[in-house]
Amino acid sequence: MLSRSEDYTGSPVDAQERKSGTRNVASSLDNAQDLATPRARDHRLESLGDAVQRRTPLHRVVLAVAAVRASVHTKLLVAFLVVTFLFIGMALVSLQTIVTGARATRMLDEAHELVSLAQRGESSLARQMHYTDLALLSQDDASISRILRESNEFNDHIAKLESAGTSDPALMQQIRRLQDEAMGVVADIANAIRDGRLGASTGALLHRQEKLDADISARVGQLVEAQQDRMDRLRGSVAATNRRSLLLTSGFALVAVVFALLCGFVISWSFILPVREAQGFLDKVAAGNLGARIQVPNRDEFGVLADRMNHMSAELQRFDAEQRQAAAELGRLNQQLAQASKAKSEFLANMSHELRTPMNAILGFTEMLIDGLYGDLPEPLKEPLTDIQLNGRHLLRLINDVLDLSKIEAGRMQLALDDYSVREIVDVAHTSLRSLAAEKGLAFRTHVPDDLPVARGDSGRLTQCLINLAGNSIKFTREGGIEIGVERSGDDLHFRVADTGIGIPAGELENVFAEFRQVDNTVTREFGGTGLGLSITKRFVEMHGGRIWVESALGKGSTFHFTIPLRVGEAST
Amino acid sequence: MTAQSTILYIEDNEYNRKIVRQLVTRTTYRLIEANDGESGVEIAQKELPSLILMDVQLPRMSGLDATRLLKSDPRTSAIPIIIITSFALSGDREKAAAAGADSYLAKPYSPRELLALVRQYLPEGAG
Repeated sequence: MLSRSEDYTGSPVDAQERKSGTRNVASSLDNAQDLATPRARDHRLESLGDAVQRRTPLHRVVLAVAAVRASVHTKLLVAFLVVTFLFIGMALVSLQTIVTGARATRMLDEAHELVSLAQRGESSLARQMHYTDLALLSQDDASISRILRESNEFNDHIAKLESAGTSDPALMQQIRRLQDEAMGVVADIANAIRDGRLGASTGALLHRQEKLDADISARVGQLVEAQQDRMDRLRGSVAATNRRSLLLTSGFALVAVVFALLCGFVISWSFILPVREAQGFLDKVAAGNLGARIQVPNRDEFGVLADRMNHMSAELQRFDAEQRQAAAELGRLNQQLAQASKAKSEFLANMSHELRTPMNAILGFTEMLIDGLYGDLPEPLKEPLTDIQLNGRHLLRLINDVLDLSKIEAGRMQLALDDYSVREIVDVAHTSLRSLAAEKGLAFRTHVPDDLPVARGDSGRLTQCLINLAGNSIKFTREGGIEIGVERSGDDLHFRVADTGIGIPAGELENVFAEFRQVDNTVTREFGGTGLGLSITKRFVEMHGGRIWVESALGKGSTFHFTIPLRVGEAST
Repeated sequence: MTAQSTILYIEDNEYNRKIVRQLVTRTTYRLIEANDGESGVEIAQKELPSLILMDVQLPRMSGLDATRLLKSDPRTSAIPIIIITSFALSGDREKAAAAGADSYLAKPYSPRELLALVRQYLPEGAG
């Protein structure tokens, strides 16, 4: 009874299971950490990122992004689009710079060409003047044609310069007019040569020529200078534009890279934070903290996930609470049952005891009547009085057995351990039953080896066991015999009570030790007995730490075996 | 001294007392009775019987306590005490012996056996 209630509370077992459960979780967490070690570098990077996002205003941005009511897909798409557009912008800016640069180069080339044209015009003019002087001196037609050639070349250059439209038109007009005048002089020179009157007019022509030379040279010099100035100015502005473009491009690139990095950082941390929260949450739940809550700023799939986790946790907590309550309820009920059962057994024990006092009077008076203490007994009263005595004794045996059984069940039966001689207890059992066996004409033998050492146990209870078993055998045996045998088997004693009786059907073998159980009621009626002897015997054997069993063949007999330690209550080797 | 030996029977059940009363009518013993532990001890100390039959379950003082008391009193310590118990608990015999009882008889006893046990301690006609 006691042991049942201890079993019941079951808390040691539960606690152990719970503990082992926790241990498993802990070890699996350890494993997870072990798995993580190869990623230590990633881990360091991650903690750096964590520190950054927690200690800077970026944290608010991360939370804000997390709180945006949009799906993870949309958020990622937007982030990638932003980055993509930034890089497209950067490419456009670069392209623009390249185009501007190319245009500036072309303009510079053109300006250079104009300068070159002006310079070539100046040289043609110089050569034209040189040939003019030569014509005046040598009075040669060949010089005239050279002058015309140079003049054409000069006009050509001037015309190109004019068409470029970059020169002062007034200056150009003056140059043209002066050139026309110079050509007039050349024509005069040519006429004079043809007419042979050059000598007379040489002085005047030279004078006109020199004046014109100075004028035109000065003007063309101005033209060249102007073109060169223009080119210099252009060169300066191109350099400035290039510098600006470089600054703009690199600035834009820098901004784009930083912005893209920030974008990636913020979006990834807006996902990492809820994942970390979830990890912590799951660890808590795994460690048995059912009902733990997870809180994330996300209003995306992570937010939904967190809601589901909270729901799951709440459900787990509810289930756990229900289960605990049920277990507690069961525990209480079981305790009540155990108490009720114990109370019942105690009641039975007390009642059996109370029954014995009147039984003493009934049996006592009956015996004194039969013994003739009240005078000689009339013959017709002898049989009924003997019947009263027999039935009274049977009732007493029943009461005794019930008392024993209820005491065992109430946990109030204790073994009185002492040294005993095996031969002695077998002899006591044999002596008590010898006459009963003899009445039925049955052989009753015992077999105890001589070399058995002194045993330890409750000799009274063991004797009772042997008497119960052998008494049973005598009861169920009509012919043949009964034998009680003992042998030593290591640290155990093996008792054997064999008979040649009616035997037990195979189906009933496991029931023979149950209370009030005999093969069937007709058997009980024929053979008598309380139906408690085997049950009590089994309890006594088990209290000694032993085991009892039966082998039987219907119609051939039964053999009851039980083993108990040779020295009960002493540590066996 | 009279030739009659006195037996004190301490027992609370009238019918059990009656059995012993009727049992000793055919003997030479004189029977005195008490129906609880306290008065039993009192009568024993006053009457100094030759033998005491002591029930275990008694009102006011248990048979074991009464036995201990009488065995520790020099006036009564030599009187043999037979304890009669209806407890079939193992260890009852040991308890009776520890309290100082000289013998032990389990209820229900056979009147024949009781008388035989009494005669062991108190041969009839002697004392």
